[in-house]
Amino acid sequence: MSTDPRGLPLVEMTRTYQFSAAHRMHNPAFSDAENARLYGRCNNPTGHGHTYRLAITVRGPVSPDTGWVMPGEALDARVRQQVLTRFDRANLDQLLSPADGVTSTTEVLAGRLWRLLEGTLTGAVLWRLRIEETSSNFFEITRPLLQRAAVPPDRPGPAAGGQKASRP
Amino acid sequence: MIQLTKRVEFCAAHRYANPRWSPEENARVFGPCVNLHGHNYILEVTIQGEPAPETGMVMDLKELKELILDTVMNRFDHKNLNVDVPFFADTVPSPENLAVVIWDLLAPHLQGCSLARIRLHEDGTTYVDYIGERGAASGAAGAGRVD
Repeated sequence: MSTDPRGLPLVEMTRTYQFSAAHRMHNPAFSDAENARLYGRCNNPTGHGHTYRLAITVRGPVSPDTGWVMPGEALDARVRQQVLTRFDRANLDQLLSPADGVTSTTEVLAGRLWRLLEGTLTGAVLWRLRIEETSSNFFEITRPLLQRAAVPPDRPGPAAGGQKASRP
Repeated sequence: MIQLTKRVEFCAAHRYANPRWSPEENARVFGPCVNLHGHNYILEVTIQGEPAPETGMVMDLKELKELILDTVMNRFDHKNLNVDVPFFADTVPSPENLAVVIWDLLAPHLQGCSLARIRLHEDGTTYVDYIGERGAASGAAGAGRVD
């Protein structure tokens, strides 16, 4: 395989993790009534929580020596160090900053996790981050879409204030 | 353009060993995976094409099932990948390499449609995707090291 004139095969590897965290959707720029209208039950003053399921995909050439894109253990160690030790059994509202986004939505959380992981991987490229908030909602960031949108992931988009929340 | 996916399961044994390395080096890099062990692999074969006007089908799923049976299941199901599959005599039978081999086995047999993706689940937490791309002949120098 290593002598194939077309070069080494490029493969994506995905590993899955989970962590449990609390949060409350609340934008301090809005009135309490507006927050309640916008975020509904997710604005519960005492908070709520989820078991988030995270799938991290890396992409790269398959090493002729190991048969791996990247050792699974090395990816696990990075995710543990960068994500799980910070976010498991934690309050997202104390960990996410205004620079990440206005409220602790899973969109905002996904952006923060992408930035925490990007650049910490060796031998492969962070390709896709998928996070499931519940079994009915999941969110994805993929490198090709980021490149197409030409929006650097470290620059949060405009605040989503005023939009009607499309999910409870 | 429509993509359709057929999912099958096969069970196989394997061990990680690079024949160019000493037993100590293999044990250091691959850990417990140097021992013979096994997995219930779940293979998802995705093909793509236009539905034929006469049949409404991209490909007859029965034919796809038979193709997967002939080319994949008969080679890998309830086999020892290192011993029973000649390709893996000198290549590590990782899910990455298995996905590439399955792609190379299936792709030449498809007519009127093309192979879009091979997704291979090794267990409930790890899977690999291969869409037939190659490049980067030098490879990732550090990819074999657990840091």
